[in-house]
Amino acid sequence: MNAPITKQEPKLLPGDLAIWFFIFMELLVFAIAFISYSVMRIKNIEMFNEYQLTLNTELGAANTILLITSSYFVIRAIHAIKVDDIKNCTKWLYAALAGGTGFLILKSIEYYDKFSEGIDLSTNIFYFFYFSLTMFHFLHVILGMIILLFIAIKTQRGGYSSEDHVGIESGASYWHMVDLVWIVLFPLVYIIR
Amino acid sequence: MLVLTMMTYAIGKLGYSGLNMIFLLLVTVIIKGVIIIREYMELRGVSFLWRAIMYGWLWVVTIAIAIAYMLSL
Repeated sequence: MNAPITKQEPKLLPGDLAIWFFIFMELLVFAIAFISYSVMRIKNIEMFNEYQLTLNTELGAANTILLITSSYFVIRAIHAIKVDDIKNCTKWLYAALAGGTGFLILKSIEYYDKFSEGIDLSTNIFYFFYFSLTMFHFLHVILGMIILLFIAIKTQRGGYSSEDHVGIESGASYWHMVDLVWIVLFPLVYIIR
Repeated sequence: MLVLTMMTYAIGKLGYSGLNMIFLLLVTVIIKGVIIIREYMELRGVSFLWRAIMYGWLWVVTIAIAIAYMLSL
């Protein structure tokens, strides 16, 4: 007699449900911003194409690599805590923070270059979108790093274990959202023309 | 992910443009987005609603961008 086919229960969302509603809200705002950028460009194609060339694609690509790598470190932290490896979990979280710090440094260099050329949010519509989109994302990176730092310290003090690590998963989900947004933002603003 | 990033960067550096490049870049965005949602966020196997929201976001944004760029050509 065949064993009854048991329908596999769907996995739970990693982390806290509240963080996911926060993530969905942020993604909605970024979606509106990305679409606004694309629509505004239709009326200003030459300008967008011209000023897009003034952006530092090297720093943009380097920042993409930093965020992807940092996100990978957060995955390793999750895997470590699932086997109660607190030392490695902490190490990977601090490595992720280093990646985030690198992102903020490169971004600040990019802004410094622009500001020292007298370019800012009000220079033209392209730069308005460039600065508002990237600065909004910049703030999300900072918030994500504050969350990761809090989690890393709590992990170091034994605040998480294989039985209880919802907090780490919540922070990880937020950090991956920051990465996901940049994955769209970088080609849209720096590359697609 | 890193290879796709370098490819995106190279397209930008070489100054390629036009509809084909736009589609190639947006396909790259979708591939990277799916990897982040499935593997990084570990939403593989999570209930359909949550996956639909995340993948829906990715597809709606990239399709909207594609339409806007097609209108501008």
